[in-house]
Amino acid sequence: MAEITFFHYIHKDTILHRMDGRLKLLCLLLLSLSASFASQLEHYLVLLFVVIFALLIAKLPIKALLKDIKFFGIIILIVFVVNAFNIPGDPIPNFPITSISIQGLITGLRFAGRLTIIIMVCAVITGTTPLITIRNVIEWYLRPIPFVSEVRIATMIKLTFMLIPVIFDNLAEMMNAQKARCVELRKNPIKRINFIVFPLLQQTLRKADEIAYAMESRCYSEVRTKAVFESNKIDWLLLAVCTSVFLFVIL
Amino acid sequence: MPILETEDLTHIFPEGTVAIQDISLKINEGEFVVIAGANGSGKTVFARHLNGLLKPTKGRVLLDGEPITKNIVEARRKVGLVFQDPDSQFVGQTVAEDVAFGPENLNLPVKEVETIVKESLEAVGLSGFSSRSPHALSGGEKRKLAIAGILAMKPKIIIFDEPFTGLDYPGVVQVLKQIVQLHKKGHTILLITHELEKVLAHANRLVIMHKGKLVEDGKPEDVIYRSENYGVRMPLNDGQKVAALTWLK
Repeated sequence: MAEITFFHYIHKDTILHRMDGRLKLLCLLLLSLSASFASQLEHYLVLLFVVIFALLIAKLPIKALLKDIKFFGIIILIVFVVNAFNIPGDPIPNFPITSISIQGLITGLRFAGRLTIIIMVCAVITGTTPLITIRNVIEWYLRPIPFVSEVRIATMIKLTFMLIPVIFDNLAEMMNAQKARCVELRKNPIKRINFIVFPLLQQTLRKADEIAYAMESRCYSEVRTKAVFESNKIDWLLLAVCTSVFLFVIL
Repeated sequence: MPILETEDLTHIFPEGTVAIQDISLKINEGEFVVIAGANGSGKTVFARHLNGLLKPTKGRVLLDGEPITKNIVEARRKVGLVFQDPDSQFVGQTVAEDVAFGPENLNLPVKEVETIVKESLEAVGLSGFSSRSPHALSGGEKRKLAIAGILAMKPKIIIFDEPFTGLDYPGVVQVLKQIVQLHKKGHTILLITHELEKVLAHANRLVIMHKGKLVEDGKPEDVIYRSENYGVRMPLNDGQKVAALTWLK
């Protein structure tokens, strides 16, 4: 898991890395909404161009990201297949599977395209934004909402994102340790899942306990230093680009 | 007046296990105390009472003569605890972010937090590591980062819980140098270990715990000969002096 670059922050010095986190999150929202509303081919092409451009200026490892997208390939494939088979319409001429319609195929491609673009936009945002910034931005946006503990929510989100790779690392280590003791010879999948789930849960809870102690030990408080955000003209320009894309798609 | 004191400290877990029992100990300012004991002797539980992470079933902890419960935040700031497993202590995605966690909790201004982070990283020789991931550091560097995270709180007392566990020789030397330097700078040091041969030469007091009780407390050269009675290896060879018990040259 440590080798996966997807959704991991990659430290570089680019305009996207330096961009104000608040505006960056707005860009994520606008581009995700644009992808959700996209219906014409030109919409997808414009979005694809924006994503590729963002990947290039962020100097993110495109090859590694494309390789990692295979983890989401199965979800994208399911979305495509379900749509292709379920949308009624004209059958594809000279195609052996008659239950796939032309309309189904187009809708399936649209949904798969939307999902791919949203995943790539998320990869750009997480690749150029440290978790602490995401945490601070969430806190900033939640601050005006009454009766909501913005610090607690932001900290919980940050810790969850931080723990996910750790849990995957633990899982990989456990699986290797069990393979070393010939777990493959056990044919009952439920028993095999049992061997993984309970120790993993136990270890995760213990880890969470230790983190809680470590945070307490360092005076964890919800009354804490507030992050300072600064935005420049380039940040606003990038937001304007995303807004234009959004308007182009919905109008 | 001792800087840190425990009075009849007892901790019984809900299922009935007595982790520590009637521990009374006085730590004076500037001391370097090694707390040794076999596995399960209650060392970590004891350490976690000293900055109020665990609440005693009986007894109390006094810091500068005042019960730590009076101002628990101040107690945690003054008594820094470096955990046995540094990985579980890290809450930041980058080195700088992790060191900033403590000062941010104290609600210090942003500029001051930045200065403290810089100073703390410099103090442990990790300048230039700011944007690295804590989990990608070597074992010795991870321990140094954990120390930097504690130094950022400006503590008077630093407790090290098994700081050498899992470290190779260069890692132990790096960490030990850091601990000795902190002591020289005036910090009171409490170091929990059963590997006396690595550090005892630098300590001026050796405390041994056994089955949750404090069983020995005195000068290292007096106590060390009885350490094996409590499951702690006596590291001295014939004719060797306590001053030889260090991994620093």
